[in-house]
This record gives sequence, C-alpha cells and structure tokens, in this order.
Amino acid sequence: MLGGFIILFVPKNVTNKFQFAFSRTFGWPLGIGRSITLAADMQSSADVVSRREYNQLQNHLANIIEQRNRTQKEVEKLSALRVNPAWERMKFVLANVITDSEGPQNELIINRGAEDGIANNQFVLGDNSIIGTISGVSANRAKVKLFTDPTSKIPVKIEQSDVMRIMQGTGENSAKIQLLQINQKVQKGNIVLADKQPGFLDIPMIIGKVAECKRDDKAPSLWDITVEPVCDVQKLDYVAVIVMNL
Amino acid sequence: MSWFRFAVLIIVATILQTSLIDIFAVTTAKVKPDLLLVLLVFFAVNFTNTEAVITSFTIGFAADIISPTMGPQIISFGLFGTLLADFHGIIDTRKWPYQLLAIFAVGFLTAALAYFLVFLKAEPMPLNAYTKLFWTPLYSAIIGPFLFLPVELWMRTQRRRTRRF
Repeated sequence: MLGGFIILFVPKNVTNKFQFAFSRTFGWPLGIGRSITLAADMQSSADVVSRREYNQLQNHLANIIEQRNRTQKEVEKLSALRVNPAWERMKFVLANVITDSEGPQNELIINRGAEDGIANNQFVLGDNSIIGTISGVSANRAKVKLFTDPTSKIPVKIEQSDVMRIMQGTGENSAKIQLLQINQKVQKGNIVLADKQPGFLDIPMIIGKVAECKRDDKAPSLWDITVEPVCDVQKLDYVAVIVMNL
Repeated sequence: MSWFRFAVLIIVATILQTSLIDIFAVTTAKVKPDLLLVLLVFFAVNFTNTEAVITSFTIGFAADIISPTMGPQIISFGLFGTLLADFHGIIDTRKWPYQLLAIFAVGFLTAALAYFLVFLKAEPMPLNAYTKLFWTPLYSAIIGPFLFLPVELWMRTQRRRTRRF
C-alpha cells in the first residue's frame, strides 16, 4: 500500500519510465494486437477506408490552401529577403503507434524517442492533421498528448481569421476555443488551424473543425466553440512528428 | 499456486487489455471489459489470503502500467482485492450470480477509489465517469464468470476454495 502511494505521488516523468519499459519489452505483441484490432475494425465497417482517405485528402488540402495563402501574402509583401519554403525547414519523423491510453487523459505511446530527434512540445501529425504534442520522451519511446486532453492548451486560429486564441481539450474527444469575441465570423464546419510556434511549427496547420458554435451562456459577448478532430485517432497506426530544422 | 503461471497470465491479460480487447468494445462510448478486474476477483476468491494480497497488488500494478496515471490502481486493486479475500468465505462465490455481483461491486469500488486518488493527485478528471464506474464493471461482470473456466484450467485450480467460517 505504501508502495502504491509512493508511485502515486512520484513525478510523472519517473513513472513514465515504467510505461515506456512495458511498451519497449512487449512492443511486438502490442503492435500485433493493435494491427489485428484495426483490421477487425475496418472489416466491420465497409466505409471506413474510404472515409479515412477522404479525411486525409481534406486535411492535406486545407494545409496546402493555408500554405498557398501564406505564400501569397509573402509574395505580396515583395520582401527582398529569400525565404525558404516552410516545408523545407520541417522534418517528419514517422512513428508507429504502440498503445493508446484511455481515461481522462488522451495519450499515445509511439516507437520513436530522443535518439530520433524527438523532444517535448513537438507537434504530431495524424492523417495530415495535428493531433497533439509530445509530452514525454525516453531514448526510443515518446508519449503524445492529444489536443483533446484536458491539460492540453494549443494556440489556434479559425480559418479566414487572424485572431489567435487558446484551445483547451475537454477530455471527451473535443476541445474548446476560449475568449473569442462574438463579432468574429465563426460557423459550424470552419477549419481550425494550429498557429505558428517558433521552433515547433513554422506554418499554421489544420488541427480540427468547428463542431458547435453558440453564444457563451456565462459571457454573452463571447463564442462557446467546440472543436472536434478531423481524424480518428483510435484508427491511426502511424503518426508523424514534426522536427524543425533550425 | 504457480507464480510462473500467474506471471504469464497477467502479462498476457495486460497486453490483451491494451490491444485486442478493443474488438469487444460496445456502444458509442466504447465500453470494454476489464480483464484485470476479472482476474483480481478470481484470485481473491480462489486462493489463500496471503496469495490474494500479493496477486491483488500485482494486478493493480499491471493496471497502472497501462493507465495514464500510475498509482491509483495499485492502491484500489490492492485494497479491495484484500477485502474481498477476507470476505469471500461469507458468500458462496461458486455460484455465478455471486461471481457476477462480486466483479461488479469490486469494479465499481476500485474505479471510485481510483478517481478519488486521481483527484488527490490533481490530475484531470474524466467527464465520462459513468463508463468506468458502471458500464465497464457491468460488462466485466457479465463476461467474468465465463473467463473463470479457462483461467482455472491454466492455473490448474480445481475449485479448491476453502471456507473460513
């Protein structure tokens, strides 16, 4: 019992080592099990594959459109400086998903770690959309905190708007955008983009879609915006970690 | 009791719980049975008190390994596994309705205590607590008695329950 309380109050970066050790030791059977689960899931619903591909292409399109808009603005500025395309400064480290944990926190464990250049706070892509950030790293394993996790706070902006706001997870496969004035044009279906963060993300990238948009009951001058992911995280078998070439 | 067989069983159950058990998820809330909970009850009612205490804490540790927060399960599984081992002589756990009830009750209590401990640690609390508090124990209770048979065969336990009263 005492051991339990010690484990309970030990810092998370220490207890993470137990979980990383488990996933490292039993990575092979865990991977096989996950593959079988994904295969069974696809067989049970015939439209899953096409829907996923559709979502992937939609996300890719949203990223390309945003990139094009940014490039257009840069051209319009007629800057004399030579600017490298943002994609060229990014390196994508592909990683297999070993386990996804359920419960109040939304996390994944992936089979890449510090030895592959993974570090805390780096953004993670799934089906061409941001799904979260790195929250814990060992030598060859890392934890991904999904943006739907209640402790996740990511600066975002809604398409066609330059207003940046913080988006916080709810723990129920969605997130809320806070403190956005009611005079901003927002409607259901709008694309939500993770905003630029120096050293981690050079261009805004799609992170979700507005699932619900209503006037905040407590503060009528603000929106109450619910954002849902644009990919099914539970069906992901691999993700890509964005490592910036600084 | 063969501790080697116990260790293999727990490792296999832990791996299944993190991967293949998703196949059996039901409803939109993705309710899944908790294999470790079923094993906790099995070992608490089929073995001596000392063995039950050791197995309860070990299964709790395994449950913690696959949980986002480490610590709550080892305490809650250890505590309620030990209590069940103390009390199981009072009720006849050979009958499946009692087994079902025991799994549901222990599942509810361990989940409730685990949530309280997560709250103490100031970790984020789930909004869909009903799933873990009611539906997961209920699902586990329904399939639990059916899992007891293969586990008994693996552990070579032929109903050697002893009444203490």
